[in-house]
Amino acid sequence: MNSVIPPSYKPVTDDSVAWLGTDPIPAASYVDPAWFELEREAVYRRSWLQIGHVCELKEPGDFIRRDIEMLKASILITRGKDGGLNAMHNVCTHRGTQLTQEPEGKKGRFSCPYHRWTYDLDGKFVSGPDFERFGLAKKDCDLTKVAVDVCGGFIFVNLDPARTQSLGEWLGPLAEQLEALPSAKATVLSEYVYEIDANWKITTDNFQENYHLIAIHPRSLGFTLAPQNPYGYPTEYGFHDPHRTQTIWENPDGTVPPMQGQAFYKAMNFAIADGIFDAPTRRAYIALFPNFFVLGIPEQPFSHTIWPVGPGKSRGVIRMYWQGADDSASRRYTREYIMAQLRDVHAEDRAVIEAGQRGLESGAIKHIHFQPQEVLCRHFFNQVSERVEAYRAELAGRAPVGLSAAAE
Amino acid sequence: MSKKASRLPEGFAALEPFVDDWAIATSAARAARRDDSSAKEQEGFYEAARELLDPALTLLDGKPLAKLDAKERRLLDLMLTLAHVSIAVEVQRDFEPQHTVMRRYMRITRTPADLEA
Repeated sequence: MNSVIPPSYKPVTDDSVAWLGTDPIPAASYVDPAWFELEREAVYRRSWLQIGHVCELKEPGDFIRRDIEMLKASILITRGKDGGLNAMHNVCTHRGTQLTQEPEGKKGRFSCPYHRWTYDLDGKFVSGPDFERFGLAKKDCDLTKVAVDVCGGFIFVNLDPARTQSLGEWLGPLAEQLEALPSAKATVLSEYVYEIDANWKITTDNFQENYHLIAIHPRSLGFTLAPQNPYGYPTEYGFHDPHRTQTIWENPDGTVPPMQGQAFYKAMNFAIADGIFDAPTRRAYIALFPNFFVLGIPEQPFSHTIWPVGPGKSRGVIRMYWQGADDSASRRYTREYIMAQLRDVHAEDRAVIEAGQRGLESGAIKHIHFQPQEVLCRHFFNQVSERVEAYRAELAGRAPVGLSAAAE
Repeated sequence: MSKKASRLPEGFAALEPFVDDWAIATSAARAARRDDSSAKEQEGFYEAARELLDPALTLLDGKPLAKLDAKERRLLDLMLTLAHVSIAVEVQRDFEPQHTVMRRYMRITRTPADLEA
């Protein structure tokens, strides 16, 4: 078959991304706890958040629980009896107790451990012991719903009661690309998770530029670099409202050691057999605001979600998306290798990101710098900053409401 | 003296000395075994096993995974651990001790291989 690898590297010019600015970036927003507090509402409340994949909820009764620390929320996603997805707060409407601590499973109903108020898979209140004493209507006791929608197999939730955009509007033209990625057809996942002592934006920035590859990943990603493109820069950047894309450059002359070559060859053949090898999205990198990346690499389709835990703490979740269960020893071996190889890369990133956090926390520098090939980091900063500043202005315009006033 | 019973399919006797240490049932445990082994152990396993990867997979691909017998399952587990160890030997090389420290933070939480482990 014809090679899908482009023959040479054509760099993105500096001028083409200059419209995003060239100024130094204030360092404080990456480490300031007060700024982080504003991001809770300004960024996370007001965004659609990727929270799972439909392959985790195959049958009616399947559920996943996902905690979003940034919004102090615990969300239940269920596959209802009608086959549809439901999302609601994992909070009993009696006295607020969380209904379940299980991360996932299968249930017919959710029953609160405290007083046994019980809910259907769609959050509808079913019954509670001695319920008549409350003088409440059952219909007023359903679980608090959360907006949920799916694109490309990914489950998104939105916790903003005043949201103005559907998921389709939020994603814009990227919705079509998500539907075309290998992850859209995934039925099985690999996953690894890391905790990191670093702000979510410092962590995110690492995965938005290739400038660091040559220094941090000379062994694990050396095969992606070449004299014509020594930093492995992408061939294109795209900006879609708050989201970003890049087109990954593939080194046509990359060499790898023997067993790595064997594994990559097997992965390529499985991608060909699965009909995804030469998909138009094979070099696609999509960064959805605020914290989700997904790559279309057919041999190694993966996503990376970076969850803020605190101003200087985050959690990364990397998932690989496979079509069909392991149907042979060769396929199992290949998936194991590909996961282990990617895990090596991310392990190298984690260490240097923490060093960046420590450096910025020291206050030694007031600004950081992005060159044109770090333009996705700049766009990301601009998007976060605009939202935080707008929210800050919104707060300043609001009359303070005290508890006594609120109770009137 | 009676010959010790083989624990692997015919043709893979060279890997018998590695079964106890390297035939491991889950992905996270296989990764941890890489972390906990010395360069000498890794290189010994790699050198003994790498030429047998393709013959092993060719044999094992002859049946559905659910039908593999105990010997075949053991051989597959050895090869799956080899995937991890080969990266240490071929890719990380002398950087492997430092890399191990970094890698321990990346907790493997699910893989397709673990669904049947």
